[in-house]
Amino acid sequence: MADSLLSYISLAMILFSIGLLGVISRKNIFIVYMSIELMLNAVNLIFISLGRYYESMEPQVISILIIAVAAAEAAVFLSLIVVLYRRKRSLDSDIFNILSQKSAS
Amino acid sequence: MDFSILSVIIFLPIFVVFVLLALPVGAKGSRNAAFVTSIMIFILAMTVYLNFEFSGYMQFIEHHEWITSYGIYYSLGIDGFSLIILMLIATLIPCAFLLLWNGRTKAYWVNMLLIQSGITGTLFAQDLILFYFFWEAMLLPVFMIIGMFGTGNRVFSTIKVTVYTIMGSLFMFICILYIGVSFFEEFGVWSFALQDVVKISSFTRSEEIWLFFGFMIAFAIKIPLFPFHTWLIQTYSNSPTGGVFLLSSIMAKLGVYGIVRFVMPLFPDLYIEFAPYFVWLGIFGLIYFGIAALMQTDIKKMFAYSSASHLGFIVTGIFSLNAYGMTGALFLIIAHAMATGALFLLVGKMEYNLKSKNISDLGGIAKQAPIFTLFFMIMLLCIVGLPGTNGFVSEFLIILGAFGMQASAGIVSALTVLVAASFMFWMFQRAILQDTDNDTSNMKDLDLKEIIGLAPIAFLIIAMGVYPDWFLFKIEPTIQHYLVDILQIKAS
Amino acid sequence: MSSFLLSWIVLVPLLSAIILGLLYLYSIKIKKLSNKVFAIFGLTSPFISFAIAGLFFIQMLQDGKTIHYEAYKWLGVGSYNVSMGFMADNLSIFMILFVTFVGGLIHVYASGYMKDDEGYGKFFFYFNFFLASMLLLVLADSPIIMFIGWEGVGLCSYLLISYYYKDSENVLAGNKAFIANRVGDFGFIVAMITMFYYAGANGFDYVSLQNSIGNVPIEIVTYIGIALFIGAVGKSAQIPLYVWLPDAMAGPTPVSALIHAATMVTAGVYMVARFHFVYELIPNVGLVIAYIGAFSALFAATIATKQTDIKKILAYSTMSQLGYMFIAVGLGSYSVGIFHVFTHAFFKALLFMGAGAVIVALHHEQNIFKMGGMKKHTPVVFFTMLIATLSIAGIPPFSGFFSKDEILLSAFASGEYLLWGIGVLTAIMTAYYMFRLFFVVFFGKNSSEDRHIVELPKSILIPLVILAVGSILTGFLGVPELLGGTNLASQWLSEWKNTSLHIDHTTESVLMLINVLAALVGIFIAYKKFYKYDMTKVPKFSGMIWNKFYIDEIYDVLFVRSIKRLSSFIAMEIDIKIIDSLLMGLSSKFISIGHLVARVQNANTRFYAFVMLCGISLISIYLIIELR
Repeated sequence: MADSLLSYISLAMILFSIGLLGVISRKNIFIVYMSIELMLNAVNLIFISLGRYYESMEPQVISILIIAVAAAEAAVFLSLIVVLYRRKRSLDSDIFNILSQKSAS
Repeated sequence: MDFSILSVIIFLPIFVVFVLLALPVGAKGSRNAAFVTSIMIFILAMTVYLNFEFSGYMQFIEHHEWITSYGIYYSLGIDGFSLIILMLIATLIPCAFLLLWNGRTKAYWVNMLLIQSGITGTLFAQDLILFYFFWEAMLLPVFMIIGMFGTGNRVFSTIKVTVYTIMGSLFMFICILYIGVSFFEEFGVWSFALQDVVKISSFTRSEEIWLFFGFMIAFAIKIPLFPFHTWLIQTYSNSPTGGVFLLSSIMAKLGVYGIVRFVMPLFPDLYIEFAPYFVWLGIFGLIYFGIAALMQTDIKKMFAYSSASHLGFIVTGIFSLNAYGMTGALFLIIAHAMATGALFLLVGKMEYNLKSKNISDLGGIAKQAPIFTLFFMIMLLCIVGLPGTNGFVSEFLIILGAFGMQASAGIVSALTVLVAASFMFWMFQRAILQDTDNDTSNMKDLDLKEIIGLAPIAFLIIAMGVYPDWFLFKIEPTIQHYLVDILQIKAS
Repeated sequence: MSSFLLSWIVLVPLLSAIILGLLYLYSIKIKKLSNKVFAIFGLTSPFISFAIAGLFFIQMLQDGKTIHYEAYKWLGVGSYNVSMGFMADNLSIFMILFVTFVGGLIHVYASGYMKDDEGYGKFFFYFNFFLASMLLLVLADSPIIMFIGWEGVGLCSYLLISYYYKDSENVLAGNKAFIANRVGDFGFIVAMITMFYYAGANGFDYVSLQNSIGNVPIEIVTYIGIALFIGAVGKSAQIPLYVWLPDAMAGPTPVSALIHAATMVTAGVYMVARFHFVYELIPNVGLVIAYIGAFSALFAATIATKQTDIKKILAYSTMSQLGYMFIAVGLGSYSVGIFHVFTHAFFKALLFMGAGAVIVALHHEQNIFKMGGMKKHTPVVFFTMLIATLSIAGIPPFSGFFSKDEILLSAFASGEYLLWGIGVLTAIMTAYYMFRLFFVVFFGKNSSEDRHIVELPKSILIPLVILAVGSILTGFLGVPELLGGTNLASQWLSEWKNTSLHIDHTTESVLMLINVLAALVGIFIAYKKFYKYDMTKVPKFSGMIWNKFYIDEIYDVLFVRSIKRLSSFIAMEIDIKIIDSLLMGLSSKFISIGHLVARVQNANTRFYAFVMLCGISLISIYLIIELR
């Protein structure tokens, strides 16, 4: 059982790292968004596997909550992306820099 | 009194502001509302004045819980000193509104009302935290009014004055917290109320000195005393008329008020010990700023220096540790608030009509606007301290006070008769009297409304100079209370 | 007669001034009023005051008591009380009588002189206000109330000198007068405050001060005396604060006659006489006063010999005569000094008014070398001016002779022969420069015969005649015993009389002869040089005396410019470059640190995420090491 827990957690960590790398390195906002979802789901996976391991229901509740939040968030995020795209006709995250110090001054 | 009149005076303008912001009122409606509010406050203040008892103690006390767990109370009260400043606010602000009547926007009036709330709150607060709250709160509308309606490099000025003042207040805030903690350690309960914290006896001497100067820096910046005055010149020059009027005539005096209200009862021994230095600092400021004013080309800058010069003289009076100096300082607060306030309003009118405040662009105004010149002259004579105006009474008493402390201080401070006269008359000649090539035909004489606004000020200036005793009797016990009970100096 | 009427001596001109001021504002703003309306108020008030003062004078002649009246408590702080009090004693009622009388005549004169001026109402507002302040100064029963009048006359002096304010020269002259007076006021205030502390415990009116001044240490009294005299120097235009008086002639001529000859400038002398109880304790300071007076007299007379502006000559002559008065009061002969104030008020007002009449007749020409031959054009002015000139020169039986003779006599009797010598020398010069003026103006040959001479109105001529009669008669109030008279003036002012001086009759008559001779010598020199002077041969003026010893220029460099430079230095260098740059330097450091940190915020989201990753990693590593 312990071995399989370790493998679940390892899988979750790998997924999380992939997501993190995606957020840092990719420019396309959609892919950044997908990476964020990947990270969320990696956390979900940890919750569920630990819940199973400790035979507790609470992590499962939390993971369902996270799924619900992620769904809501997806709606907001996607609409934001649409708005951003309408503004600049681009999905390159580096273009959206009006808060930078250079453009402010 | 069941009716908590002081709270009404503080919060009436704020209430009006909320109403104005909620309703779609234009500039004229806001101005009318502001004027009516100021008149109502005048009536309320008159009620306070008439019901004020002939004693030196706090009256009209209001005491409510605010943040109970830390002993912070909403507590208000006034004594003779605050009463005088309250009457100044109540009298001068409606008069000023009459002179600011045209061409101001809604935001301007809203800010004016907010400033009024801030200053009255500062004046009534008897709890250190509450005082600090209002002290900072009155700065925000000033920040807005200079930043939005000022001239010249207004954004820079407004940030400079705000940051400068907040820097000073920061020291005061730390001191307030330190005092609160010390009170808790000594008595086991929390309190920031003034009548409680004066009982603290556990301070060591070095602690007291730190706290004393922590408070003094905040007040010295506000007054301003040398060398904390550099914000003043630019700010006064770039402020809109209403802002500079309130800054010079009332807010500067709150620095002096703070010294008397808080520093004096909290550290009476140090107050007496350091008094000679502050007397000399005041006299130094008087002469230094007076000389600096001479060559200013911008009238508002000249008046800024003149104002600083007189405030130095007020500080001399406050620290002279006798009844003459203190009474004189109080009298000068009144005289100076009236005269400088009115002068700034008049210069504001000149700036509004002629679009310039440089002496070299003016001239020939006496011919264009004789009534304007008449009022200008009366205010100027009050600043110069001519007998027959209240300026003389106050200067005479302060010189007496300084002499009572040190003969040399009295003699040097008598130079005040020369200082203001030199630059004021020279300015008057160049800007108002003599004919120049400048076209000043746009200058309009005062209209009836403006005359109604200025006439009470001019009347009071002269009445207080001709019959000063009638105005002194309400404040006399307060002065005696300060000297005998707080500083424990025998009446001279 | 009830004593509250005393305050009405001051109140009548004051109320009249207020009414005039309001009427003037009404006149310029709403509807133009005719000059008559202003004249009614302006001219009656001095004579009402004169009448009230006359009633008090008669009452005092009968019972000889000093009259006090306290209107209200002016100021009460601590244990001291000062009340708005009026006091009529022999000295003040004497001053009041001639101030209101001469003042009233000058008002009448001014109503003719100013008749074409658009600020007619304003002029009489100032004039009445001046009179009220002057009367308050004289009638006050304590130094502080006197100071109110003292400053009031200073203010009116400023306003009237800069009456033609559109020309900056005139306002500058007004400023100069005000500032010079303020230097004097500094001394007055210091003296007043010292007195307040050392002698004011039992009240601050003259009577109480007189009683308690004896308990004050003598060094303090000396210091009070000197400080008070600084005030007198400023007001009465003595060395070194005299510079404002010649410039003050920028005002209209009635102003010069009223303020800068007859009344205000003599306030300093009055003040010294008023504080005689101080100066009696400190004769050394009195001697200093006398010497300053003597030098001022000589100095002014020297300058006057070379001036060409008729009013400037008279201004220096005023300063010179004031010097005489200070010789007298400095030596303790207050009654003599006040008597000279009295006679001087008549003949000097007359001189100024005569000069004004000539100036008006010649369309505002003030250079005496452009006048000439006025004898046939203005005979009335000629005769009255002759009387006044003889009077100031000291020819008996005109009033100036008696008063000046007494001053020189008391100088000689005190053993101050140097003062006496200076006095006689000045008397020669006085006669010389006055007759120089007289001969040039009235007998000088002016070839340009196309001049149009303005007809002088009666309101100008009548006061001249009355004052001329006064200049003759007033002297007889002070006829010395030697000439078989009784000195009424010094009897009236017996409290202020110097009783210690005695001199035998032979010496006295010799001195008197010397004085008359001195005057005749001066007149003779003037006659030789200037009788029927040919105006075409006027030399170019230059030299030290013509340039008034360059005192104005020296003062300008010493005080005015250096203070201006100091002012610029403070405002531009110390404030901006040192204090402000220090503070702004601190804040700019703060801002530059902010800029440095702000570079991190480059709006690159991925960079932020990377920084976050680094941070979380570091914390995780730390936690792993710690929690192991």
